[in-house]
Amino acid sequence: MDTRPYMQDRAAEEFFSRLAEGKFQSTRCAACGAAHYPPRVVCPECLGEDLEWFDLPREGTLLAFTWQEAAMRCRKPEVLGLVELEGIGNVFTRIDAAYEDLRIGQRVIFDTWTSPDGLVLHQFRPLKGG
Amino acid sequence: MKEVYIAGVAMADVGRHVLDPHELGARVCAGALRDAGLLPREVEGIATTPHGYMADFRRFPSQRMADYLGIAAGFMMDVDSGGNSSSAAVHAACDRIRLGRIRSCLVYAAQREVPKKEVQKDVLGHFHLIKAANSLYDSYQAAYGVISPLPFYAMAVQRYMHRYGIGPEDIARVAVLLREHALKHPQAAYGEPLTLEEVLSSPLVSPPIHRLESSEMHDGAAAVVLVSEELLKDRSRAVRVAAVAEAHDPTNFVPYRGEIDEFPCVERAAKAALAESGYRVEDVDVAEVYGAFAGLELIMYERLGFFPRGEAPAAVREGRTTHGGEVLLNPSGGRLSLGHPAYVTPLLEITEVVRQLRGEAGERQRPGAAVGMVHTEQGFINGSMVMVLDKVVQGG
Repeated sequence: MDTRPYMQDRAAEEFFSRLAEGKFQSTRCAACGAAHYPPRVVCPECLGEDLEWFDLPREGTLLAFTWQEAAMRCRKPEVLGLVELEGIGNVFTRIDAAYEDLRIGQRVIFDTWTSPDGLVLHQFRPLKGG
Repeated sequence: MKEVYIAGVAMADVGRHVLDPHELGARVCAGALRDAGLLPREVEGIATTPHGYMADFRRFPSQRMADYLGIAAGFMMDVDSGGNSSSAAVHAACDRIRLGRIRSCLVYAAQREVPKKEVQKDVLGHFHLIKAANSLYDSYQAAYGVISPLPFYAMAVQRYMHRYGIGPEDIARVAVLLREHALKHPQAAYGEPLTLEEVLSSPLVSPPIHRLESSEMHDGAAAVVLVSEELLKDRSRAVRVAAVAEAHDPTNFVPYRGEIDEFPCVERAAKAALAESGYRVEDVDVAEVYGAFAGLELIMYERLGFFPRGEAPAAVREGRTTHGGEVLLNPSGGRLSLGHPAYVTPLLEITEVVRQLRGEAGERQRPGAAVGMVHTEQGFINGSMVMVLDKVVQGG
């Protein structure tokens, strides 16, 4: 039973393999400079195909959070959330905290997480005093 | 441009069905054609949707139905864009009729899901369906194991409650009201009354969403017959498509930019449809709204323009959205209590508004209803269709 998520393009493959090395990166257009999240293989701003990888901010703001019951991984009580990275956008991610301990607007920081089926994904955890 | 009329509607009971979706479809198609007074040989177009989400994909259903009923069509289309599929089919049919390319079109949907219990009994045997559900989302969402949009909707409701200071009772109350509406609908999936306490004490499925604030995927079928004036057999029961508009946001499930409870496509579609129809939102007597979750139902009421932002909960509490209120919203019981076969839902909504405008809604009737609205959506409300219906018949 292959539980691995499908990869919609080579940017997704690259994103997750960089994540496995601890790198949290996305693409930027070499021609027009537009930053993308999620990463692309073509630039939606100018349609250029010459893209480079850059480091995403590692700190962000927790916009919302919940948990899911029926899922292929990250089931209750694990928390999922949406983190706003300034100037980039919203990242859907695992949150490394108990649901009860979280609040909207909290500052969170990037980390990696290895799922029981061996995937390296990103997660965010609350910053102390954030 | 020609006027388009809805001449016939039909629906099957919403709930669980054992009939093959093809037979379910054939029966509602026949029902809608009888309602319109048309025979299959007078039908010039046919369009439909897939037969379900957790269901094995059977391709070209409209061609099968055209053969079965004997329809020599000048327009045929199988549409799959989630919850907006059958409304996109209606929209395309309206345009074909307006252009004069066809004079009539049958749009139907028949949905039968693999029952949840069967999936749970044999997860391996249904694993291809679970993977297909997961691959609805892009790789960055799918990686977290998502197989339903519930967590996304939960976060949107959480943002909405946070931004406007809305409490759990305000959300739960709309579920109670929709159940009251559904009790007057003999074909609804739910027939038992519901209390605020029951909603609030039902388990959380994705906080802050409770089980009884969340629509279940049901089976069902419905059909509508659209015609131009030439094929309108009974003017007294005709309902006119005053306007139809569609709008889509550049998002696929969770928006990667901006607020997640905004859903700008809803407002865009509503404004465009109202402007085209010449009506104001205040003119709408009755509307069917696609709210798959109680919190989203409230957000939709606001984005459609019925109430200012953050004020739908108060409107529901004050009885402004029910019988005797300023606008009757989801008299069918809505997605939460009529039941929600997503591919069929837009046609169920049209059926309800047509029955209201004809004065054939029985116990659910809003007296004198003259202008109706239908709202549908797809994905995580990434796209919407709004239709305005009235009783104005040309030359009649």
